[in-house]
Amino acid sequence: MRRRRRAFPRRKVCRFCADSSLAIDYKDPKMLKYFVTERGKIIPRRISGNCARHQRRITTAIKKARHIALMPYTTIQPH
Amino acid sequence: MRRYETLFIVTPDSSEEDLKAVAEKIQGVVTGMNGKLVNYKEQGKKKLAYNVKKQNKGYYVLMDYLGLADLVAELERNMRLDERILKYITLKLADTVDPEDFEVQEPEPSEDTESVAEVEPEVDETVETQESEEER
Ligand SMILES: [Zn+2]
Repeated sequence: MRRRRRAFPRRKVCRFCADSSLAIDYKDPKMLKYFVTERGKIIPRRISGNCARHQRRITTAIKKARHIALMPYTTIQPH
Repeated sequence: MRRYETLFIVTPDSSEEDLKAVAEKIQGVVTGMNGKLVNYKEQGKKKLAYNVKKQNKGYYVLMDYLGLADLVAELERNMRLDERILKYITLKLADTVDPEDFEVQEPEPSEDTESVAEVEPEVDETVETQESEEER
């Protein structure tokens, strides 16, 4: 019996390491949205496949984007 | 000098004149504190991801400038006290820049926050050729 593991395909390498032209910018919520769940929670790197360094940058960028209201803290109970 | 950027949100009920007044005041703080304005860009009205001071929209403005830490403190103090400004965030883009390298108010494509040097990747023929072996 095989269970379908994840909708998010596991990557062999971090996409940001693989493509140095991909910038991580807190002002770009369209790109950052890819790294949060529907509820706005940050997707862990074991699922996103990011390396530790780029996951840290993504996390930092998402937190900044949240602070300046470009991204939600949560979509359940907006403050 | 250091290079900073501040992204801030102006209340959505602002008129064109209000936005202009905010721009003059904020830019005045930069120049008044011996800073140098690199770019001031109004990004238009956007929906906020959550309500801020009871508003669900706001005018985003991105300002790129050079200065010292006391300028940032003064700028943020002004923004905190100004009711037209809903929220702000400041990032340091570079620790030491030469003001001569920047033309005032000349809009440039903004660089990445962590200025990674763009190096042309050298083509290394020896790497990963297993797959192409089969093609004959
Ligand atoms: Zn990486």
